Amino acid sequence: MEGMFYSTQELWTWWIAIYLFLGGLGGALVVVSGLTNMYVKEHKELVLWANISSLIMLSVGSFMLFLHLLHHIAVINVLNPMVLINKPDAWISWGTQFIVWMMVWSFVYTYPYLVDSKFWRGIPIIGGLIGLFGWVGNLSLRFHKLIGWLAVINGIGTVLYTGLLLQSFPAVALWHNPGVPLLFIVSAFSTAMAFLLIALYVFIKNPEDHGLKVLFERSDVILIGIELLIIFVFFQFTTYGLESARYTAKILWNDMGWIIGFVGFGLLIPFIIEFRGVTKGWKGSAPIVLAAILVLSGGYLLRHYFMYAGVYERPYPAINSTHHLQMDGSVQTQ
Amino acid sequence: MTTPHYAMVIDLNTCVGCNACMAACSMENQTPVWDNKWRTYVHDMEIGAGTENEVKRRFFPRLCNHCDNPPCMSVCPTGATYKLDNGIVLVNDEMCMGCRACAMACPYDARYDVTYDDLDKGTEFYGELHFRTSPSVDKCSFCAHRVMKGLKPACVETCVGSARLFGDMNDPKDEVAKIVASGVAKPLMAHLGTRPNVYYISDLERNV
Repeated sequence: MEGMFYSTQELWTWWIAIYLFLGGLGGALVVVSGLTNMYVKEHKELVLWANISSLIMLSVGSFMLFLHLLHHIAVINVLNPMVLINKPDAWISWGTQFIVWMMVWSFVYTYPYLVDSKFWRGIPIIGGLIGLFGWVGNLSLRFHKLIGWLAVINGIGTVLYTGLLLQSFPAVALWHNPGVPLLFIVSAFSTAMAFLLIALYVFIKNPEDHGLKVLFERSDVILIGIELLIIFVFFQFTTYGLESARYTAKILWNDMGWIIGFVGFGLLIPFIIEFRGVTKGWKGSAPIVLAAILVLSGGYLLRHYFMYAGVYERPYPAINSTHHLQMDGSVQTQ
Repeated sequence: MTTPHYAMVIDLNTCVGCNACMAACSMENQTPVWDNKWRTYVHDMEIGAGTENEVKRRFFPRLCNHCDNPPCMSVCPTGATYKLDNGIVLVNDEMCMGCRACAMACPYDARYDVTYDDLDKGTEFYGELHFRTSPSVDKCSFCAHRVMKGLKPACVETCVGSARLFGDMNDPKDEVAKIVASGVAKPLMAHLGTRPNVYYISDLERNV
């Protein structure tokens, strides 16, 4: 039983990558905006941008996941909070609850700002609905910090869960290691910083936010730097690791989309641009906005390649997989 | 009397690749064979290299390994995948939402989709006896419904070469327990910590 077969999977592909990307970004946005608003600088517009965007991202991501379920009605089993007692070992159970409660608490936390927002109150129907439920805003303000922390805790859980979900699959060396949750956490917060920088530079455009922009740029430089180090660790782990990890290395490090797209344009170039911004500064906002867009693109590419490059090792070929890997890096298609 | 702990031994020396196990299983458990979805499957493989006398043909039956540490069960968010006291891992179709996390977690590629489309085709294929009502991510059940009646799994019952043996690991007199205890039969990918309950007797020693 010496001959082993190596194949990737076609069950969870680009749509799961989008879900993981939006989940990580959405969760980190709630955490960063909540903590910034509570402890750094009260900033209603930032919270509105972060939390409403997060709500939309998580709604889109979760809906994509829902569409791909085989048995849609049975989703009720994970939406029930009792799932945490019945299935505490399953990260999808935790993730579903973290996402649902993060969306609820972050929306309640944001509600007083929606009530005060001319933009949101000016939208037909939605503006009227916001006014109709004004009491939610009053209630939220009475317990604002508590609600903020409930949103932040569930946001941290959402960010953490995306990596732990992949880590819970033992058959794939690329996924089943402690580096994955760490990488996804760092990437999630880096993309959140990038998203907030775009919001501050392009949409909010308040000169009083200079300090906040500097804080986010510095944080993002540090996060991208750490992410680069973790990617180097993964290079070592896959290149000199278990056999299935070596097949992963063949996939990733022979793919220009990974090397140039993710490592180059998604990490190195934004790192250089933001590092220059932090040390010497830029005259305009364009370089930082460009770097932020690249970081966001890189955030998706990371998850995309992680899903496609996970390699299973089995003593027989996968029945329904059409891709079987050869050690020279080529893919044999059935 | 101790609770049985069921396991299977597959002897690669005696499997002739007749695929009767696949046929018996698909009829017993109504699997979507039209989509190449099987609870058990027999791979037809070549091992060795060189002249035709040096290359051997190997038939490799596979199925759910009913692990003692089943990763498909721990990742299942709804509790649809569960384990009986006798070691058999089962799927509750009604509770399964079909997220496929179990299929992603399974090192043995033992899980497959049963879709709404498969349910419709199943009614055509299996007729009025078709019992599946919910989509799910299905797998081998060791024919638990037969085992509870004291019968063997359908694939074991039908195997012409007695390549599949089914028994109780908690009974020291059971043939399966004796073979496993002898060390001649080994589980697949035990290093992953899944503690599988399907053991294989290798055909390599005879071929060298």
